[in-house]
Amino acid sequence: MNSKFAAYHTPEILVDTDWLAANLETPGIRIIESNEDLLLYDVGHIPGAVHIDWRRDLNDQTTRDYIGPQAFAELCRRHGITPETTLVFYGDKSNWWACYAFWVFQLFGHTKAKILDGGRDKWEAENKPLTRSVNAFPASDYPVPSKRDDEAHRAYFQQTLEHCKAGKKLVDVRSPKEYSGEVTHMPEYPQEGVLRGGHIPGAKSAPWARAANADKTFKSREELEAIYANELGLKTDDDIIAYCRIGERSSHTWFVLKYLLGYNQVRNYDGSWTEWGNMVRTPIEVGA
Amino acid sequence: MPYPTALNEIIELFEFLPEAARRETLINYADAAAACGRKEGVAYNLEDVRKDEECTDTVGVFVRVDDEDRVHFAIELGPKVQTLTKAMTAILCRGLNGSTLIEVMAVPADFVPRIIGAELVRLRSQTVYYVLGRMKTAVKMFTDRRRAELP
Repeated sequence: MNSKFAAYHTPEILVDTDWLAANLETPGIRIIESNEDLLLYDVGHIPGAVHIDWRRDLNDQTTRDYIGPQAFAELCRRHGITPETTLVFYGDKSNWWACYAFWVFQLFGHTKAKILDGGRDKWEAENKPLTRSVNAFPASDYPVPSKRDDEAHRAYFQQTLEHCKAGKKLVDVRSPKEYSGEVTHMPEYPQEGVLRGGHIPGAKSAPWARAANADKTFKSREELEAIYANELGLKTDDDIIAYCRIGERSSHTWFVLKYLLGYNQVRNYDGSWTEWGNMVRTPIEVGA
Repeated sequence: MPYPTALNEIIELFEFLPEAARRETLINYADAAAACGRKEGVAYNLEDVRKDEECTDTVGVFVRVDDEDRVHFAIELGPKVQTLTKAMTAILCRGLNGSTLIEVMAVPADFVPRIIGAELVRLRSQTVYYVLGRMKTAVKMFTDRRRAELP
């Protein structure tokens, strides 16, 4: 095993690029690419990878919610995934959307899942193979999960409001200027509709990017603990909610806290600032 | 206001493509974006190279205006620019090169969804409008400078 991984709370939750390159044709593994760049998979992907698009495949198209158990089972069946299949997620933007897709799969209890450390950027930087040929796997008979287990992994607005009022731990993973309220969207992105700038009262700022190295891999456990345990003061049994603007950057932090550092109670507030910042009669704080 | 003829032809091509072919054609255009860069030995009348908040990487826009007052663009994209932005760069270079300055300034942005289609139009893909904005800005800068230099 990669020596860096061994120090993490859940070492087997990551694979590195060399491991994946050596296991492209290993039975029982399905590689899943999930990106922000909508055409990146079509431009070229890791051989054998299937494409899961966060909006088309994971979001319900008529409610602001995720797909339900039936649609999740159908998604898995289309890609030949069974409950025994080990999933390896990767993608662009330092694995934002890979972590997001991974997180949605956890809502349905598919725990045989891993993240490719460094994601697509590292794979490309190492000149590992990409292909445009799309594999069609035989449909599987993935059973419909009994429910979507939001409780363990996901926080809704009302829960976050109560969390805030109770003075529990909130981690704002957006950029510093988004946190302070100076801007309402991250640099390089369009405004996505929020009316106010600032952060949830009591939330501490820890931009997601601090958890990533320049090559998009996760930082070492020691480096991560320096941020989350030492600077933010998070304790193992704290009840923690992470948020960003729509829940993708906070999926990255959720993954770091839960699997790399072993925090027991971490949820992702996917409504995030787009919901909180617009909600009538909801308090905010501004400033650093 | 009608689109320049070359751009109109591209728009009409895309409008009749099924989704899979549309994606493939967009990727082909994205691949062609690398050829839209500056040409050696060509003197450009205006160079505007910068990175701003709407784009993920540095984008350089180079403008040459010929003797007939028609504009020719070269555009250089950084490596992190998204595929749709690359595709739109190649489409706009092909569709607008040879147009007059006034024609470029008058091009409405409403053709973008007709090219990329409903499936790919998303809030987070709004940077497809970015290159057109930069081209128009460059043309306006050129026009303003020329006006200022007039006796």
